[in-house]
Amino acid sequence: MKIQFILNGMPAETEAPQDKTLLNVLRENFGLTGTKEGCNVGECGACSVLIDGRLVNSCLTLAAQASGHNIVTIEGVHLPDGSPNDLQQAFIEYGAVQCGFCTPGMVLAGEALLAQNPQPTRQDIRTAIAGNLCRCTGYQQIVDAIQSTAQNRQEKKGHA
Amino acid sequence: MGQYEYNRAASVSEAVVLLNEPGLKSRALAGGTDILLQLRHDPRYCDRLVDISQIPELHRIELKDGWVHIGAAATFNEVLNSPIIKATARVLEQACITVGAVQIRNMGTLGGNVVNAAACADSLPALICLDAVAHFLTSAGEQLLPVTQFVSAPNKTLLPSGALLTSLRYPVPTSGCRSAFIKLGRRNAMAISRLTVAALGCLDEQNRIVEARLVTGSATPHIERLTVVEQSLIGKQPSAELFHSAAKITVDEMIRLAGYRWSSEYKVPALTAMTERVLTQVFIWDEVQ
Repeated sequence: MKIQFILNGMPAETEAPQDKTLLNVLRENFGLTGTKEGCNVGECGACSVLIDGRLVNSCLTLAAQASGHNIVTIEGVHLPDGSPNDLQQAFIEYGAVQCGFCTPGMVLAGEALLAQNPQPTRQDIRTAIAGNLCRCTGYQQIVDAIQSTAQNRQEKKGHA
Repeated sequence: MGQYEYNRAASVSEAVVLLNEPGLKSRALAGGTDILLQLRHDPRYCDRLVDISQIPELHRIELKDGWVHIGAAATFNEVLNSPIIKATARVLEQACITVGAVQIRNMGTLGGNVVNAAACADSLPALICLDAVAHFLTSAGEQLLPVTQFVSAPNKTLLPSGALLTSLRYPVPTSGCRSAFIKLGRRNAMAISRLTVAALGCLDEQNRIVEARLVTGSATPHIERLTVVEQSLIGKQPSAELFHSAAKITVDEMIRLAGYRWSSEYKVPALTAMTERVLTQVFIWDEVQ
């Protein structure tokens, strides 16, 4: 069937079987391999994407369900010149990336949180990334990166 | 062509027509967090998914004639963020907060949790504590059943084939009523419940319990209000001793209804503590808040 959506800000269209997951359509039809397949049962969060701003597991979403909606993958998160945005930069600076497999999902979980709650507590951050498993960092660095980004964005807003 | 087909329904009536189309085994798709996994394990589970998740009416949460109506496709996040739910059913808000993590709460729906009918479903004890009623549409018209009857056994409901669960409704609890929900899982997020307990109640001016409801989850095969426990509380003043004796009755009920099982060694002390805690939260609120 024909799948049409806004993908990272641009209209996108493809043909896919009706039972193909959004995860596989993103990776195979669009070559967007930043979205990872981890557990493929909705527990690890490596496949997280934003649909209309809501964080979901793309392994448990059919591409057909996403048709007509606004999808953001990790490839859609960057500065206008293509370089890492402030949250991604903070992940680098705080050592929040080791093997990197969970990172796309973590960044999107962080962005979903900050869009909704610009001044999160540490507990809010932990709750927001509870559906994203990381086996390397022990999470502290990830929480630090999101927290410092939140603070920097607030300060910038204060100056503006 | 894939293993199964996908159809998006634009309205409730279209969904019922699609679900009843002869020659195809169709099932409703709401959040997909259970059914897509089910289809991977059992390819013959159905031939077609009818997507009901994009019907606006099924996401509506409203207060009408003393009842709160929750559209069956409202997600856990939509339910727990609703001011109507926060104001009338803390027990349901707390139950929805304990489901999975952000992603699952953005996808999974209250109706899906009820129809999937897992013995460990987090929303069921809360809904049954609220005396919620399941409304469903068949090709013959609308029907309704209390959730405690609708969910007849673990993984079984009385939803007729081809019917669509459209809403869950509960009467607004009497003003002054408080409610609470406690879940015990292996960790805070993404945990399947080991035990849950939901309670609701209120006190009169003499500080006596005039209404009490208590429901456990993951404890008994059928989820129902434990009326023996409720009756043991009525007319009494809240106290640690009263709640301890109510907790003992709760545990006796669990064993009467489920038998003494391999997990009872663990569940007996756990349920005792959880029951005491939930009753304290409901009836001695200020100390907890």
